Amino acid sequence: MGLEQYKGDMEMCCRCSACKFIPMQKVNGSQFSYACPSISRYNFHSYSGGGRVNIGAAMLKNGFNYTDKLLHIVYNCQMDGACGVSCNYAMDMEVLQPIQEFRIKCVQDGHTHPALDKVIAGLRKTGAMVPAQGKRGDWAAGLDLKDATKEKVDVLYHVGCLTSYDKDYQKLARATAKILQKAGVDFGIAGNTETCCGGRAYQMGYEADFLNQAKKNMAMVKKSGAKTLVTGCADGYQAFKVLYDKYDLKGSLKVLHISEYIDKLIRDGTLKPRKKVNLSVTYHDPCRLGRLGESWVHWTGKKVPGDKFVFDPPKEYRRGTKGVYEPPRDVLRSIPGVKLTEMTRIKEYSWCCGAGGGVNDSNPDFNLWTAKKRIEEAISTGAEAIVTACPWCEKNFNEAIKESGSGLKVYDIVELVEKAL
Amino acid sequence: MALSKEVYKEFEDVVGEENICDDPAIMPSYYNTEFAAVMLPGNTAEVQALVRLCNKHKLKFRPICTGWSGMFPKGIILMDLRRMNHIIEINEKNMYAVVEPYVISSELQAELMKRGLNFCIKGAGTTCSAMLRGHGHMDQTTSGDDRNHLAIEWVTPEGEIVRTGALGSSDEWFSGDGPGPSLRSILTSAVPPGVTPGVFTKAALKLYHWPGPAKFPVVGHSPKYVLSEIPPNMMARYFSFPSVEKMWQAELKLGEAEICYELMGFNAAMVAANITTCNEEDEKMFNRLNKEVQGPGFFVIIAGNSAEDFTYKKKVLEKIVSDAGGKSLKTVEDPEIEGILMCQCIRISASIRETFRPGGAFNSIPIMGQRDLTIKWAIGAGKAKEPLIKKGYIVDDGGAFFGWGVEQGHLGKTEIFCKFDPRNAEAKAAVEGWQKEQTARAFKEHYFASTMGPQDEIGPALSNYHLWWRKLVRAIDPNGVSPEGGSLV
Ligand SMILES: Cc1cc2nc3c(=O)[nH]c(=O)nc-3n(C[C@H](O)[C@H](O)[C@H](O)COP(=O)(O)OP(=O)(O)OC[C@H]3O[C@@H](n4cnc5c(N)ncnc54)[C@H](O)[C@@H]3O)c2cc1C
Ligand code: SF4
Ligand code: SF4
Repeated sequence: MGLEQYKGDMEMCCRCSACKFIPMQKVNGSQFSYACPSISRYNFHSYSGGGRVNIGAAMLKNGFNYTDKLLHIVYNCQMDGACGVSCNYAMDMEVLQPIQEFRIKCVQDGHTHPALDKVIAGLRKTGAMVPAQGKRGDWAAGLDLKDATKEKVDVLYHVGCLTSYDKDYQKLARATAKILQKAGVDFGIAGNTETCCGGRAYQMGYEADFLNQAKKNMAMVKKSGAKTLVTGCADGYQAFKVLYDKYDLKGSLKVLHISEYIDKLIRDGTLKPRKKVNLSVTYHDPCRLGRLGESWVHWTGKKVPGDKFVFDPPKEYRRGTKGVYEPPRDVLRSIPGVKLTEMTRIKEYSWCCGAGGGVNDSNPDFNLWTAKKRIEEAISTGAEAIVTACPWCEKNFNEAIKESGSGLKVYDIVELVEKAL
Repeated sequence: MALSKEVYKEFEDVVGEENICDDPAIMPSYYNTEFAAVMLPGNTAEVQALVRLCNKHKLKFRPICTGWSGMFPKGIILMDLRRMNHIIEINEKNMYAVVEPYVISSELQAELMKRGLNFCIKGAGTTCSAMLRGHGHMDQTTSGDDRNHLAIEWVTPEGEIVRTGALGSSDEWFSGDGPGPSLRSILTSAVPPGVTPGVFTKAALKLYHWPGPAKFPVVGHSPKYVLSEIPPNMMARYFSFPSVEKMWQAELKLGEAEICYELMGFNAAMVAANITTCNEEDEKMFNRLNKEVQGPGFFVIIAGNSAEDFTYKKKVLEKIVSDAGGKSLKTVEDPEIEGILMCQCIRISASIRETFRPGGAFNSIPIMGQRDLTIKWAIGAGKAKEPLIKKGYIVDDGGAFFGWGVEQGHLGKTEIFCKFDPRNAEAKAAVEGWQKEQTARAFKEHYFASTMGPQDEIGPALSNYHLWWRKLVRAIDPNGVSPEGGSLV
């Protein structure tokens, strides 16, 4: 059905502009009130969530006119869903889903972005969204980890492309493995057999490639016998937990982000962060762990004829309410010496790091621009460091800090936990 | 009508390549209107240069702030003022704030609350521009409409920069009428279609004392935000009355006593919409509240400057309400509901729930005047809604009206909605018919409904203002480049 299934939602847009801002009750002044990186950077209404659904509705009706400007609009969106959260404070309508379907349609119609095509060509060849130098499992050398493709494990740790291949971020995989080892968890990795979750391909609009990856992954999970999958990457988390479920591929697999898993281990006393880590931090909610980490709601139904936009059976909207917000914060609070100060835009109305939707590949300048805005916000809290829970955010923040010359430090949550153990 | 390459280039030279676009792909997002181009000026000088080019090439233009209420002719140039988004000054001593067009009310209000100040926010909501005039929930305290515009920086339709009021003779923004030129009647154009020719580029807004917290303690996740506590010396209640007359008696007395920070004549349907997070919940809540109310009512916020002041205001409120046979709605006494309703009705952040959420569209007839009389008219308009409700064309809100007084007085705004699904052609036609009929009735009964149609019809009843207005517009816009917009602002 694609975009067509969201015709009614798109036609509901009242052009109120709420999707450009964080929810009104949370606006705390003239700074940090904007929610959508795309309209904030490019200013034409078309770049906002509302503008996008207006275009979608009109093109469904009048035909698709793929101009260069349209493609600029399409590929300069982080697909981060901040628009949908703000809209859904008041409106009952889907916003991100039609935006996603529009992008999928662009790809299906052959109107792709050359930089994204290149990334996807890499994925098809190597199973990774980043240049694959060396072997995927090299990071685990010397750690003596179980190979989940050969041995049965309780927990499968899905590392992700960036953490596996990027030498600067392999430390996150190693930290995660050490934490799980310390907690005595029966876990394994797929090592060189691991392949991309497909989540980023999906955000970029390459639905078929996503499905291909999803099927490969689920076959591998089945073989490993693991009932629980833990990821350290927010994209991977959303892919396994939400997107696979959306396409009925997840089955009964339990998917946890490493921050949720560590939180659970701390709560049940298995892990005890004892060493002091004297650091004032602020926490960045990765979009796909936070508002977009909310479980998929399976629903089919019909609009009830009449005065209202209501459905039979009633439709439950995913409004960002049930994202993963507290576990990473609880983990930070449990580390002695860590002082957490919040930014203005947090949790369901968090500002994206910039890398979503493939923008880091399709428009590196816009990607960095977005990350720099976040760094400004983090600095405004007075914190020494920004902590996140996704390697893509960490990489982006490091680059933004390097460019802006700030002294802010960046950590993934597992790095701080490792220090505290 | 596309711009020639040469003319496009002239405009582009003013705003830069990134800030002008005539690509057909963007037009559906701008009201589905084929504009000649959309431009994003970044400051007054750029606005002026664009306006001058429009005059040079005899091209019509209209500006927008957030653009919620635009209805514009095809082929014109749309000036989207989004990049002009700075709060220029908050003058605490003289109690005014100077803003550019794309400062939204929510941003300004948050800055003001930190300083113990507030300003008039239009009922449309805090997502709209702070600069444009209008009426809103806090009119009792913050007055409304043109009363709140002080000095203004205005680019005339010919591209002159005019600074009105105190700004005309000094660097100060404290007055709209002098020392310096007062152009109040033109700049606010308090007559239909209520749209000023040219472009406001900065305006000073009058500020008022805010006795509440620097920030509401909002917790929870969207869409269910609540307050962690009711701020000290504040209270919100909804009272229903046995009759319209009794309600009016209480409203007048409360105005005389000057104790309400806000008195908003919500009906039960609007309270239900405000406090619920989806349409289904809304419907259930409306049925519940409908059973709880004894008749028409209003919502009140009391805000004390001290514990003593709060106690006094509460006592007076109780006495006046009980003398009029008023009853407090138990549902709103629940601190969770009281808190969020209080926050939403100060931060004006749920108007979309009240208007667009159910069906996607609403039509309304707002009328200004003496509240007890306009309410009588509105009861008739409500009765006229009943057949539409029965046929399932519009949302069942009990046919109710709403409204509020201004400056604690007997004058104010009364309004009545029809919420419907615009894709339902029969419903749309029925609602339009209702609006036409009831507006005509208002006119016949000597009420001023701002949805009243052609100026040629109503002008003669209003000292032929329309002829004077047109003469004025011709004088300030000889090239006819600044057409009327389609909005009540
Ligand atoms: C649901 C809803 C509820 C509403 N409730 C109320 C209410 O209770 N009280 C009330 O007063 N109004 C109400 N309105 C009308 C409301 O005041 C306007 O919609 C609001 O001010 C729009 O703000 P905006 O920033 O979107 O203006 P825009 O839509 O951007 O502009 C509105 C008009 O002003 C013109 N304009 C914009 N900027 C400038 C400028 N800088 N210089 C000159 N002209 C300019 C535009 O051309 C347009 O004609 C309501 C509207 C809606 C949709
Ligand atoms: S998408 Fe939602 S928030 Fe944005 S303009 Fe449309 S209705 Fe408003
Ligand atoms: S998904 Fe993100 S970048 Fe795209 S329109 Fe929505 S808020 Fe803006």
